[in-house]
Amino acid sequence: MQRHLKIIILLFLLLQSLVYMAQTDRDKVEALRVAFIGKKLELTTNEADKFWPVYNEYNDKVKALRKTVRQSFKKGVDNLSEKELEDLYQLEIKAKQAEAELHKTYNDKIKAIIGTKKTLKLRIAEDEFKKEIIKTIQDKSD
Amino acid sequence: MVICALFLFIKITKAQTTFDSLKIKQPKHFFNTVIVIDSYNKPKKTITDTLDFLDKRLKSYAIKQYNLSFYTPIATINKPTADSTVTKNTHLLLTGTFMALLPVFSGISQHTLIKAGVGLRAIFNSGKKSVWFVDASPFMTQDVTYKSKTYYRLASTIVYSYNKSEKFNWRIGITKSFLWGNRFYAPFIGFRVGRLNKANLSIQFPRSISINLPINSNFKFSIYTRPQGGMFNFSNHDSLYYINNDATFHFTRYEINTGLRFDMRLSNNFNVYIATGISTKNNVTFYSERANSNYPRLPYNKYFYKSDMPSTLFFNFGLVLKFGKAKSYYNNKNILDAIDLNNTIDAGDGNTNNGGVQLPSKAKKITKKDANLNSVQDLIDYNDY
Repeated sequence: MQRHLKIIILLFLLLQSLVYMAQTDRDKVEALRVAFIGKKLELTTNEADKFWPVYNEYNDKVKALRKTVRQSFKKGVDNLSEKELEDLYQLEIKAKQAEAELHKTYNDKIKAIIGTKKTLKLRIAEDEFKKEIIKTIQDKSD
Repeated sequence: MVICALFLFIKITKAQTTFDSLKIKQPKHFFNTVIVIDSYNKPKKTITDTLDFLDKRLKSYAIKQYNLSFYTPIATINKPTADSTVTKNTHLLLTGTFMALLPVFSGISQHTLIKAGVGLRAIFNSGKKSVWFVDASPFMTQDVTYKSKTYYRLASTIVYSYNKSEKFNWRIGITKSFLWGNRFYAPFIGFRVGRLNKANLSIQFPRSISINLPINSNFKFSIYTRPQGGMFNFSNHDSLYYINNDATFHFTRYEINTGLRFDMRLSNNFNVYIATGISTKNNVTFYSERANSNYPRLPYNKYFYKSDMPSTLFFNFGLVLKFGKAKSYYNNKNILDAIDLNNTIDAGDGNTNNGGVQLPSKAKKITKKDANLNSVQDLIDYNDY
């Protein structure tokens, strides 16, 4: 019995230290962002039920788009053939175009759900969250 | 209204075309693949009643149980609603379990009983306030230590879940489960008060009662009561069933565990949990197949040994591994409920719980630790500075 208890306490301490050593969680920032936006928008229950699935879908698409472009640029451009350079150029242009189109489409959908004022508030909330992050990064580097 | 909807549809189609032309890889499902490795044991307890012949033979009782279970999404069907907001969806998941149970009776030889199965579950999100859950978990049980017969069984559950709000949910349904040490058909009645990722009280009869208290984004504490048990086959190698010469009889057990549990999120893909507490009831029953064969679909009611052993401590430790990328479901209460239903009714009727590995963590504010380039690169462009 006492042996079991000792093992549990040891495991607990070990795991607790691992928690603090764990890598920073990207999901945590995302959770904070949606919590921040949710608070700022003050959605009604009915609005929230419709808004969040649409907003999540929009974010997933934008993130996937940015990730694809980011990964394509990872190799650099110096060792690419002419065709590869052209493909990369087209990808970059198309991605920007697609992002703008997604922005327009999903904002129209969001506007239909929560109205113009809250859609603009969303934009403000997104910017405010970005500012908070930038400030935190700047504080960190000081 | 119709013209507006049509205009929106054309716009979506156009944007979708550019997006699709890039062949961007996106998550298909809302569920990740999750594997749970669970170890559970109860220390030896001497059987005090020595008047019974079998009590005298068995002498003491302990449990060692190892369970590996998983679920993985195999299909997600999104159905656009009239106003083109995709909120209705159906999720099809493949589930599986492999359990090794070692009931330790010091008076007889050691038996290893296994239970293995692969099942299917479907979760339907109506897009409004309700979620339907249907699970079928067929499994086989066998005593692998000595010659014994293999039995095939089916555990199943249908639940209707209603999300009144993010803070209140109720559920009703029916379940066929072996958790309570027999083939029981029971109503499923549940409710939760409190948000899933915050402090909440959850009563999910006949599976669990718990008070969940997240401490921070990586650490959760729960106080809970839940049954553990099942129906297994036991080889008659030790001639415990002396009335007939059957090679196999049914060993069933259940206990009610009340204790504390700590869940730790070590990384985005790896959780662990530790639980301990008091195990009460500790019911063990031996049923003969022959004596119960007249009513094949009903609970067994003719036993040749039954005992409620004294209370003991129990220890439970588990690792939870999460794989793959899932679609975002932040603040989407129906998807969060679907995930919680999937956790509450675990794969394979073993009543393990993955601790809500897929639920977004509770987060209060950005710390310096969180704000690194890797965690914010999707949110910030260089021209935001």
